[in-house]
Amino acid sequence: MDTRKNIELKIIFWTIAAVFSLFLALPLLVLLGRSFVGDQGVTLEFYRSVIADRKFLPALGNSFLVAAAAALAATVIAFVLAYMIHYTNAPLWLKQAVRAAAMLPMFLPTITYGFAIIYSFGKQGLITRLLGTQLFDLYGFMGLMTGYVIYTVPVAFLLIHNTMGYIDKKTLVVSKVMGDGTFSTFWIAVVRPLLGTLAGAFIQAFFLSFTDFGIPASVGGSYDVVAAILYNKMIGGIPDFSRGAVVAVIMLIPSIGSICILRILERFNIRYNRISDIDLKKDPARDISWGTAGSVLSILILSIFAVIFVVPMVEEWPYKTGFSLDHIRNAFLDHELLDSYSHSITMAACTALFGTLLAYGAALITARSTLPDRYKRAIDSISLVTNAIPGMVLGVAYMFLFPGTPLQNTLTLMVLCNIVHYFSTPYLMMKNSLSKMNAGWETTAMLMGDSWLKTIIRVVTPNALSSLLEVFSYYFINAMVTISALVFIAGARTMVLTTKIKQLQYINKFNEVFVLSLLILITNLIAKALFSLLAKKLAEKKK
Amino acid sequence: MKMRKSLACCLTVAAAVSLLAGCSSAGGSASGSDEQVVIYSNADDEALTAIKNALDSNGYEGKYIVQGFGTSELGGKLLAEGKNLEADLVTMSTFYLQSAQDANSMFLPLDFEVKTLEEFPDYCAPITSQEGAILLNTELMEQEGLPRPASIKDLASPVYEGQLAVTDIQSSSTAWLLIQALADAYGEDGAEKILADIYKNAGDHIETSGSGPLKLCRAGEVAIGFGLRHQAVADKADGLPIDFVDPTEGNFSLTESVAVLDKGGKTNPLAMDMAQCIIENSRKELQQTYPNPLYKGESSDSANKSAYPKTFPEPLTFELFQKHQQLSEDAKQ
Repeated sequence: MDTRKNIELKIIFWTIAAVFSLFLALPLLVLLGRSFVGDQGVTLEFYRSVIADRKFLPALGNSFLVAAAAALAATVIAFVLAYMIHYTNAPLWLKQAVRAAAMLPMFLPTITYGFAIIYSFGKQGLITRLLGTQLFDLYGFMGLMTGYVIYTVPVAFLLIHNTMGYIDKKTLVVSKVMGDGTFSTFWIAVVRPLLGTLAGAFIQAFFLSFTDFGIPASVGGSYDVVAAILYNKMIGGIPDFSRGAVVAVIMLIPSIGSICILRILERFNIRYNRISDIDLKKDPARDISWGTAGSVLSILILSIFAVIFVVPMVEEWPYKTGFSLDHIRNAFLDHELLDSYSHSITMAACTALFGTLLAYGAALITARSTLPDRYKRAIDSISLVTNAIPGMVLGVAYMFLFPGTPLQNTLTLMVLCNIVHYFSTPYLMMKNSLSKMNAGWETTAMLMGDSWLKTIIRVVTPNALSSLLEVFSYYFINAMVTISALVFIAGARTMVLTTKIKQLQYINKFNEVFVLSLLILITNLIAKALFSLLAKKLAEKKK
Repeated sequence: MKMRKSLACCLTVAAAVSLLAGCSSAGGSASGSDEQVVIYSNADDEALTAIKNALDSNGYEGKYIVQGFGTSELGGKLLAEGKNLEADLVTMSTFYLQSAQDANSMFLPLDFEVKTLEEFPDYCAPITSQEGAILLNTELMEQEGLPRPASIKDLASPVYEGQLAVTDIQSSSTAWLLIQALADAYGEDGAEKILADIYKNAGDHIETSGSGPLKLCRAGEVAIGFGLRHQAVADKADGLPIDFVDPTEGNFSLTESVAVLDKGGKTNPLAMDMAQCIIENSRKELQQTYPNPLYKGESSDSANKSAYPKTFPEPLTFELFQKHQQLSEDAKQ
């Protein structure tokens, strides 16, 4: 019976391996080749000249510093928000509001972040106007921090929130009974079981910040970061793919470090046989203090984005602030909009469906199988590598590999690109939730004569449903907002909303950029509401 | 359980169908004579409208699709994809076309007569000439009590420190218009010195994108920028507190051209006809936004013409661009 089970898992493994070989490894190898091969054959000249550039190493240092600081801040903020939701008796509406605020930034294309920060904190910004003074120097470290934190809080929150749902809260009671102090209870019952996830969240946030070039382009000022150098080399005034590839390869190195860190922290993962929802004891002081912290953080996040709702409705922010619906009308006059919109929805739905299946399969292997360690390690490594690759690099690599093939400019290729690009977080979410479930289910079910597949469908899947839906919506939402890779692979007949946004940005039609961003936001909110409704319905059925 | 299964079924089928539909609609782009011509362009809205008007009024309506790109993305695509590019026709900055042709020999010689004032390679014909100018946010200028600059050299004055935004020639060709003007007026050494002071004044605002300075002027972040002239003209006409100054060193310009992809047997025959149609029929409308004459018989009597139109003494090649990139890097040290 055991061998049968492994056959199914191996099929899943090799499917995953095939997808990532073709759409991750191969493009990366092509790129790696570019970094070594010049006009005169194999050379290390590109590496030498990139590293010798006086700007490169300082920029690399800056990137590490600002990405780590932002990731730390995002993880702490996300933890506070998730803790408030899971471990306090704050009113339900507040919990829902905090949850929504924590996720909001993810629903918008990152192009809008830079604008949002400048239009909020800049000299004529909304917040600056309200306060009468500029809070901080926008350009450079602080601007980058602000941008990255907003950008990465949703991912960190998703991971932590998701895992907290699978932690047995009875340990709180047990720890108290054992006479532990408040701090050690907090450590033993909450932080320690979360360590793996916290590290995962930090690493996700770190690489998102490390590889993003949109935020530095808006508010980086003279603070050089390595992602901006990558952008300049790859598609700057003179595209220099060889040196661009060198920068991309160097940017991949930290992901190897992250593989080691996660491996060490794996030991801290704890499995619970049962997840019991205990009634938290009454503690108004706790509820008020965490509730306040959660509210303040949420309001901060919302206040930065408030301007996005204001700008499209006025004539010309900040100088002509009369109410006007012209921009909205103009944006919708474009008759190609409907096409782009339907492409976006189709692409996002396909990405979500196939991406969820892939992440689920991968997590089943690493969290619930007896396959040898090398299989599991391979999948973990894939996940970390996808995380460390800037979307632009993936897009450029695809541009070398797929033109001339039937896949060129197709929605299929765009879907595959998204699945590969965003694999990491969904996989981690699935893995975290699956590994928190009782390990004996498959064995028990099999002793009772059920096949592995049946067990997965009947026992594991229903219990993982909320995570599966989270993953589904994560993929959907990210496919709706992503741009950096797609801009290179979308064709004239497969344009999506975000490539349209990029085009509008290029011709200085920022108001229309905001209108389309809001359209994406609304679509994502509706999708999210539908998924939640579905989750509820399914949960009711189960009962 | 039942509901979940049927739902999963529906979803899977729907996704598979839509995916297939996506493939076939996009996969069928192998060219034939009845296929639509795909046009890739980095042109601004005004230019795209003029191109579309020219094509539509000459019987090509519905026979083409236009896809706009940023200059850097389209530049990357031309170099990386070469003849495999989806497009049959492109309009793009001329020196980019030159480098793509050098790298990939991907364009066909034009089979119609092109009577340009200056010499162009046989595979491209210019559609627009885009000029540079100094941009001003008039409200901030007044508020900060800044003197109105008359030349690019003036921007090097310390009074403008923290109030200036320029673009970086490493990532945007708009910056080239500024560097050409300095190099022409003051020689390379002089240009480097002035540029160093300009960069000092710009500080945090050496932008990667050509649209960056105007964006910052509009947002009220800086009082002065350097960017594309026609964009400032449009903003001023819209009633924004934006004005522009034609620098006394000259309004230097870069051309954008049309070129036809050489796809061998798969070359769309309509592409060349459309290129000809664009050149012959869109120039009048284009000159309203981009006034510089490019063809014999054209004049620049448009209301929007600049005060000091000027061309760089050397041809604007890729090599010159690289040389000026180096000049700019030296000025940053």
